[in-house]
Amino acid sequence: MTSHLKEISKSIEAAQGESFLEELNRKWNDHNKALQMIRDILMYMDRTYIPSNHKTPVHELGLNLWRDNIIHSSKIQSRLLNTLLELVHRERTGEVIDRGLMRNIIKMLMDLGSAVYQEDFEKHFLEVSAEFYKVESQKFIECCDCGEYLKKAEKRLNEEIERVTHYLDAKSEIKITSVVEKEMIANHMPRLVHMENSGLVNMLLDDKYEDLGRMYNLFRRVPNGLLTIREVMTSHLRETGKQLVTDPERLKDPVEFVQRLLDEKDKYDSIINKAFSNDKTFQNALTNSFEYFINLNARSPEFISLFVDDKLRKGLKGVSEEDVEIILDKVMMLFRYLQEKDVFEKYYKQHLAKRLLSGKTVSDDAERSLIVKLKTECGYQFTSKLEGMFTDMKTSQDTMQGFYASHPELGEGPTLVVQVLTTGSWPTQPSSTCNLPSEMSALCEKFRSYYLGTHTGRRLSWQTNMGNADMKATFGKGQKHELNVSTYQMCVLMLFNNAERLNYKEIEQATEIPAPELKRCLQSMACVKGKNVLRKEPMSKDIGEEDAFFVNDKFSSKFYKVKIGTVVAQKESEPEKQETRQRVEEDRKPQIEAALVRIMKSRRVLDHNNLISEVTKQLQQRFLPNPTEIKKRIESLIERDFLERDNVDRKLYRYLA
Amino acid sequence: MAITGARQKAAVQALKASDWHLEGAFDVFYSQPQSKTHTDSRHLEELYNRYKDPYLDMIMADGIARLCNDLQVDPQDIVMLVVSWHMKAATMCEFSKQEFVGGLQSLGIDSLEKFQERIPFMRSELKDEQKFREIYTFSFGWAKEKGQKSLALDTAIGMWQLLFAEKHWPLVDHWCQFLQARHNKAISRDTWSQLLEFTRTVDSGLANYDAEGAWPYLIDEFVDYLNENGVGADGFSRTIGA
Repeated sequence: MTSHLKEISKSIEAAQGESFLEELNRKWNDHNKALQMIRDILMYMDRTYIPSNHKTPVHELGLNLWRDNIIHSSKIQSRLLNTLLELVHRERTGEVIDRGLMRNIIKMLMDLGSAVYQEDFEKHFLEVSAEFYKVESQKFIECCDCGEYLKKAEKRLNEEIERVTHYLDAKSEIKITSVVEKEMIANHMPRLVHMENSGLVNMLLDDKYEDLGRMYNLFRRVPNGLLTIREVMTSHLRETGKQLVTDPERLKDPVEFVQRLLDEKDKYDSIINKAFSNDKTFQNALTNSFEYFINLNARSPEFISLFVDDKLRKGLKGVSEEDVEIILDKVMMLFRYLQEKDVFEKYYKQHLAKRLLSGKTVSDDAERSLIVKLKTECGYQFTSKLEGMFTDMKTSQDTMQGFYASHPELGEGPTLVVQVLTTGSWPTQPSSTCNLPSEMSALCEKFRSYYLGTHTGRRLSWQTNMGNADMKATFGKGQKHELNVSTYQMCVLMLFNNAERLNYKEIEQATEIPAPELKRCLQSMACVKGKNVLRKEPMSKDIGEEDAFFVNDKFSSKFYKVKIGTVVAQKESEPEKQETRQRVEEDRKPQIEAALVRIMKSRRVLDHNNLISEVTKQLQQRFLPNPTEIKKRIESLIERDFLERDNVDRKLYRYLA
Repeated sequence: MAITGARQKAAVQALKASDWHLEGAFDVFYSQPQSKTHTDSRHLEELYNRYKDPYLDMIMADGIARLCNDLQVDPQDIVMLVVSWHMKAATMCEFSKQEFVGGLQSLGIDSLEKFQERIPFMRSELKDEQKFREIYTFSFGWAKEKGQKSLALDTAIGMWQLLFAEKHWPLVDHWCQFLQARHNKAISRDTWSQLLEFTRTVDSGLANYDAEGAWPYLIDEFVDYLNENGVGADGFSRTIGA
């Protein structure tokens, strides 16, 4: 057989150009057929003599001879390889080749044994492919933008996969795809991602879902691919977020501020959903970034509360229940990112109080829904006072009904509506002096005795700075209006029923309203266009001690009902902000102490660093405690004999029962 | 016996304990609890009456001043602190009869001469690390007002300057300046005791100061103050600006 094969080999060698492979193929087919026949003929020997004498079976022998004499013949071996590689290359450059022939030849190599396939073909195939793609990727990256490049890379990848199915061993797929991934993607990852005007950041900015999706799919194939995307996305997001929260322009309008944050969140949620197949690691990166920059601005808690306030006052008017839920859920997401949740609580309470007392909430259900969400997030303690506020409102309604039911004679006079607020639940306000007009004070006294009649042992104090009044007014030319004013404003206006002209000092004396509030109150009634029910001499913007006030007989307004009250929640002024911050800090001290005592009581003995980290962990749901403050509290507890230092190890604390 | 004023039995014991070496015997003798020494309680009574206040059954500031005068010791001398410690005196500037008599008894003193003789010994006690610690800790309770939990700042500063002059701490002046400039409040017991640890553990260049070392807040602030004012490498450096 060997000599026969040598003959064949010569004839194959002789084949020119194109026909080389065909000749090889033809001879191979002939050989196979012959081999089969020989095997059949020698089957008996195959089954008996050969196994017992450990000789190679016929078929196998035939294959080996083919391999040694033809495939490994010096003239054929390299020519075969080069021809095959040449064809692959041509196909890659767009030519159509005879795939059937390729398949047969490759199959021949596979049949000769996987060693042959790998050594004589696959190994070189992979090397050449690597070279090819190295060159190609370099060419592309010079001339294409990121999106185009990725498209090309994807196309090549798919081509190779297809190639394998058509005429290569299936096991080669993973190897060739690795080559493509490495050459086209892994080697150029940084450059692609950071490409100017078309890189990852640009794609994010322009919401290019398709390109982003493609990048995600390609990069996930290479080591650290997704990590790279995630890192760039995170740093971009953090940078953008940081600019957002520190931009002084933005800070002027809290509602806008929060809306922008929500928009940014929506944008990235979309991207992660549509392009990054909801990958959890990306979601986490998003969360971390938001947590980072939202807390860069110490006013974020206040602003989020103001946003909610705006929505609950008017923003949610006419919005369907489901949409309300959606908006509130989104707000809750931002809330979760806050480090100083206790600051939020303080502001929320203030704003809620104003909403409830002025009756300005657009939907009771929405209010309650939000409270429930806060409770789920932070526990009962967080919301118990807020719920107390709602209860007070309801109870007050019942109380008013009872009051008027038992005093039918009051039906004629001014209508009094009282909200009785439980001191612990509502934000603390210092109550200030204010002389109510006699009609009102008599009425208030009646209420007081009624209430204390049914609730002995309680104390009532009028919060004149939080009330409002509706008054019917007739002006000089007969124009009638209904004015909605604050209690202070009401007191001032009522004075003019008995006097044409009053100067500042007289007003101050009569009402006993504290000067800063009184000035604000007069300003709102004398200096604001459209609300100037009073006239002031001189006409300046500021209130001077010598100013004189008159009823503005020329007052006019398009509306019958004119609102002059000033009870809307606003962004705090600098001094107010300091005050609130101070109160929050004061409130934190007992919380830290309670946590310290709790921990030490259960652990008995604990060292300094662990104690600090335990306390921080326990409190982090509400706020991030300052380690220095914790230290001060520890010392205070040592002073008060709750704790002591260990005699031997001064870093160890012991609980004193 | 002539030198220590001890009785024969105690002298023999001491000599035995030190293998009959005379100097070793002195060491042994002096390190023994002093109650073994005999004192005449009548003499002590007389001594007490000499200095006690005419109206109260206590020796008050006046009496103490006279005592110091007779001993030829400055009333501000730190040795008086050591004396008070031995007496377990409750408050500065007064001794109860029990404190006075008990304390002197434990020191083996029943006359002014013996008192004067013991003074060098008492001074030497300050050099002993353990005793110094005890005296330091004692001073807090002793120096503060009766019924107060904390020690007034001025008194504390005075005490610190007294104590750390004896056992030199390079930063004592900076510490006192710092307190006057920044703290202006009373000193808690914890701060007092932790300060001694601080002088013992942290070198004056602050090189081994551990910010996580559970030092009281005031001491952390002190370190910041030092850093702000450029006290770093050698502790003795530039004077702090007013």
